[in-house]
Amino acid sequence: MAWWMWLVVVVVALVGVAVVTLAVQAGRRSGTVIAVRRRPGGKGGR
Amino acid sequence: MNQLMAARSLTTLPVVTLGGDAVAQIKDTVFDAAAGRITGFTLSGRGLLSGPLKQSLPWPAVHALGPHAVMIVDAGALADTPVVVARREAQQGRVLHAKVLTDEGAEVGTVLDVVVEGGTSGRVVGFRIAAVKSLVRGSRRHRHRVYVPRGDTLAVSGRALVIPADATRYVADDLPAFVARVSAFHEGHEGTPS
Repeated sequence: MAWWMWLVVVVVALVGVAVVTLAVQAGRRSGTVIAVRRRPGGKGGR
Repeated sequence: MNQLMAARSLTTLPVVTLGGDAVAQIKDTVFDAAAGRITGFTLSGRGLLSGPLKQSLPWPAVHALGPHAVMIVDAGALADTPVVVARREAQQGRVLHAKVLTDEGAEVGTVLDVVVEGGTSGRVVGFRIAAVKSLVRGSRRHRHRVYVPRGDTLAVSGRALVIPADATRYVADDLPAFVARVSAFHEGHEGTPS
């Protein structure tokens, strides 16, 4: 295989790793809405 | 009434100290189902590659909740995440996409979002739901998106949200109309129900 083909493989692999990393990070940072039940005077109450 | 905001829109809002430092951003919004109030927020870091933080923001430490930032006095306001929500609670209490049932046992839709009051209130005033056709008469859409008041009696979990059947008479298509409907609902239903 020619040297430039190896270069293409390496670049594609790096781009793939970057895309996966950013996607995982986006998933970890994505939020939701959570309902909990607190006893009066318990933690989280004002 | 302070400005109403969708809880999902709070995600990624920066947490800013009164000194002007952005110390984190909002990840999850946590609310007390029985009291109908926000109890706090879980946080993630500000950087592109930063993940969830081990610290969270209890509601009593919030100076003000605005449309563009959550203001706190200083970074010392942050607390350990279990103070706001335990891991098990976080897994079981996700309300988005939960079924919406009335206290009479009718399914009226699924939860799309939770409407909260900003400022220093943190009150949960209602829900945005994908309503079934029977709830919104005349709509040609299979799932019509409407706002419905929270009501006083409420049970909510990751599986189902239970609202008073009476609350379904006060649905609104948009937030400005919803403000009027919430007022009518709480003033002994003196408005013009649909």
